[in-house]
Amino acid sequence: MQLQDKYRIALLSAYAIAIHSFENLMPTPIPWFRLGISNIITLVTLILYGFRAAMMVTLIRVILSSIFIGTFLGPAFMLSFGGGVSGTFAMGTIFFLSPRLFGPVGLSLIGALFHNIAQLVLAYVLFVQKIEPILIVSPVLITIGIVTGIVNGIIGNLLIKSIKIGMR
Amino acid sequence: MKLQEITNGITTADRILIIVLVIFSALGFIFIKKAFPKATEVRIEVNGKPVYVLPLTSDTTISVKGEIGDTIVEVKDKKVRIKESPCPNKICIHNGWVDRGAVICLPNRVMVFINSPEDTHNTKPDAITG
Repeated sequence: MQLQDKYRIALLSAYAIAIHSFENLMPTPIPWFRLGISNIITLVTLILYGFRAAMMVTLIRVILSSIFIGTFLGPAFMLSFGGGVSGTFAMGTIFFLSPRLFGPVGLSLIGALFHNIAQLVLAYVLFVQKIEPILIVSPVLITIGIVTGIVNGIIGNLLIKSIKIGMR
Repeated sequence: MKLQEITNGITTADRILIIVLVIFSALGFIFIKKAFPKATEVRIEVNGKPVYVLPLTSDTTISVKGEIGDTIVEVKDKKVRIKESPCPNKICIHNGWVDRGAVICLPNRVMVFINSPEDTHNTKPDAITG
């Protein structure tokens, strides 16, 4: 890993932490519901700098912002950590297998979907341990995930384009 | 910003994925609605005290001991009626089959409520005069 890459990862992580923390301050209509806009940074990192950088940015974001917010190792952190890692892993796998097949919107959707699935599984295993509430809540979460996934993908796409113009 | 600038990064696979996911989640909603119907229960009270709570989906006939005798309540096909009552005017029996609200037999102090568990608190009186 080159020094320049480290600077980039640091900068992108800083953006991700800022967005993640801001998102946690925003009031939402449903308690657990988050827009997942920090996933935009993961998406951009994955497409521009590859899987390792994206996973690193995700880990740094989840761990550091939970320390800043004060939820480190708490239930919210577990869900955030599991969701973030599996979402990034899913996006990275698909992007590694066929980089041309899905655009940023598709990758973002896959990330959002796996993020939600991981959180539902974690919530079941760690906290709820009843299958009915999880099953009832899951279509709602996945539908919201589709909408936010598409929106995040479009924003990420625009961001990648303007970064590429700036890099020339 | 033109609309094309937003859409030109979207590949065919993206579109297919969006459609598949939308169909998948719609099916999920339908499945959940079929698998977990709204739990509705029948609550029978005597003198304001709950005596029986049973699901509306059950098919049973039960006898409830009231002030002046036994009232027979029948639950069938998600409907409730008072089948027999010792009261003089039989208003409760003439109510017939009911699938929402309540059947009340005042002389025997028997009240049969149909409600989903979450709105039970609405059945308390606003105020009592007397």
